[in-house]
Amino acid sequence: MKILVLNCGSSSIKYQLFTMGNRKVIAKGGIEKLGLKGSFLKHDPGGDRQVVFEGEILDHKSGVEYILGVLTSEKYGCLKSLEELDAVGHRVVHGGEYFSASELITDEVIDALTKCADLAPLHNPPNLKGIQAMEELIPGIPQVGVFDTAFHQTMDPVAYMYGIPYVLYKKYGIRRYGFHGTSHRYVTSRACEILNREYNSQKIISCHLGNGASVAAVKNGQSIDTSMGFTPLEGLIMGTRCGDLDVGAAMYIMEKEAIGLKSASVLFNKHSGMLGMTGISSDMREIEIAAGGGNERARLGLEIYNYKIKKYIGSYIAAMGGLDILVFTGGIGENGDETRFEILKEMEFLGISVDDGKNKGLRGREQVISKDDSPVTVVVIPTDEELMIALDTEKIVSKKG
Amino acid sequence: MASEIIYESIEDFGLIRKDKSRTLFSKIGIIGCGLVGQNVARVASTYGIEVVFIEISEEKIKEAYVNLGKVLDHRIEHWGLTSSEKRSILSRIKGSMDYADLAGCDFVIEAIRAVDRGARLKERKGIFRKIEEVVDQDCIIATNSTTIVITELSSELRHRERCVSLHFFVSSPEARVIEVVKGLYTSDAAYEKVCKFVNMINRKIIPVAESAGLVSIRLFVVLLNEACEEMMEGVSTVEDIDETMRIGLGMRMGPFEVADIMGLDKVVMWMENIYSEFGDVRYKPSPYIKRLVRAKQFGVSSGKGFYRYDHEGNRLLAGSTNC
Repeated sequence: MKILVLNCGSSSIKYQLFTMGNRKVIAKGGIEKLGLKGSFLKHDPGGDRQVVFEGEILDHKSGVEYILGVLTSEKYGCLKSLEELDAVGHRVVHGGEYFSASELITDEVIDALTKCADLAPLHNPPNLKGIQAMEELIPGIPQVGVFDTAFHQTMDPVAYMYGIPYVLYKKYGIRRYGFHGTSHRYVTSRACEILNREYNSQKIISCHLGNGASVAAVKNGQSIDTSMGFTPLEGLIMGTRCGDLDVGAAMYIMEKEAIGLKSASVLFNKHSGMLGMTGISSDMREIEIAAGGGNERARLGLEIYNYKIKKYIGSYIAAMGGLDILVFTGGIGENGDETRFEILKEMEFLGISVDDGKNKGLRGREQVISKDDSPVTVVVIPTDEELMIALDTEKIVSKKG
Repeated sequence: MASEIIYESIEDFGLIRKDKSRTLFSKIGIIGCGLVGQNVARVASTYGIEVVFIEISEEKIKEAYVNLGKVLDHRIEHWGLTSSEKRSILSRIKGSMDYADLAGCDFVIEAIRAVDRGARLKERKGIFRKIEEVVDQDCIIATNSTTIVITELSSELRHRERCVSLHFFVSSPEARVIEVVKGLYTSDAAYEKVCKFVNMINRKIIPVAESAGLVSIRLFVVLLNEACEEMMEGVSTVEDIDETMRIGLGMRMGPFEVADIMGLDKVVMWMENIYSEFGDVRYKPSPYIKRLVRAKQFGVSSGKGFYRYDHEGNRLLAGSTNC
């Protein structure tokens, strides 16, 4: 079975083509600057060459059309015809309360997605455009939506309600949704797979630490809490996002700096986080170098970053009544051995004891980094959201077929 | 990492073969990069559109860049923008003295500032003709002028059906509305294209019939004249009138503040144009404004108008000028 995974953004489309038998990616690439001047499609047909297709790509429909054109082309393609393609899986950012699992795209699903567009105005509309383009180009091809929020729909109201008037939840759906769901689901289930544990009996905390970052508590195979909330702004300190912040402080800043909603959004989403605290960069490596060179703000920034994650881990252990597996993923989670070390130190009393030898220097590879006798198993798992989307798509399409 | 990169043209790889297509409004032109021109350039570039502006000297081009940078820096200081966004906005804006650089534009807007009406109309007509020489037949040619009717301006063009008038608000560049005027000759296709452009830069269209002063300027000049009357009669002061309108009537700025930003020389010109069109004395410039203009007190741009300003354009608290 061959499955195409699409991630349609407002001015980009990323794609990966999988053969499901061996779970291999046979081609991947992406379009950038969609609808803008200088748009191009970068295609990686495997091997040691890359092809850049230059030219105007007007909209999502022509973008998807060119991707299919390249994939079926004699020169660079790997499909003889479009009939070889069995299904398409789409990454969809916000499924609201409508979707608690991946879903075969039908008219009803499209209706529900349209209703969620308000919740993710930057992301959902392009996701929808990709789905519609595919339906027009290959009518009838099975398409599956895989939602960033779906995994966290198992959260209890205890975890997802905010302390604000209930009427706002009813009126606008103001509650915590959580994101990175596909990644948390993939790494937690993958961890159980390689550790040979029963997914539905484990208490797992998964730390997805990338430019955006979130922690999720997964108990018996279900997400029971996560650090991102109504938007991806809540929770951990991120590259340029502030994470948890007193609403009172936000209001005070807006008044003192005489700024409106738009500037406030830029302030908390783009000027804050590690970049804002350290004044150096949103890139963890640069901050680590600066801290190594004696930069005090960089050192403090790293400490704050780690402390926050430690606090979330502690609170989720309390929420789940224990912990079996702790997973690190995302760019920083997979590669940042110092970050992992700092977060996990002095947690032996909670059953977390890290093997420094295994942790040090470990980058981007699946490996257990806790000591053999550590009650909690700590493991690094590189995330693979595209594969998860492909697997979901395969499952749903096979069931239907 | 791939070691070899091959370049291809994407048009050869569509499922349906098609001719080379062009993204609508991937590039626009602006004639005159004063306050209005800079605003248009900045807004369009923010939405990913390439901008070419034409100025009369290297000095003016440099000045426009400096001012653009200042406005963006100000936005960064107030958290509304990041430095990388500033860099990409500026990188899409190109200044030139050569009309030939407008070739390939989907839309060109004239935003020059000239002082007396006769020369101004003639000059603008000349500019329209020069634009027409270099752009494609379907390129929209627009003016930001509010008191000169587009039909008159476009009358000498070969393809006058593509002319429209758009009014960007100078006193509040972030205002999400633009007045759009269809001239006598303007085709529906051209009008629709302009609407598309306005939507692309995330503004709302206010359709306005061809009429001197459009909606905004015609109303504003009467308000300003009346405010001057009140002040001259001693009914109230400049500050108090502005504050009344701001707080009492919920305007973002009072009439004197707005006039100082627009430039009193420009306001007088508008008033005279509208007066000559309608012949009603309520449009005739108040003697007080004329007095200020004669004394070269144009407002923010000259450091003095109804209020005083420092060289950065910040209002000084000293109060109104008395002349």
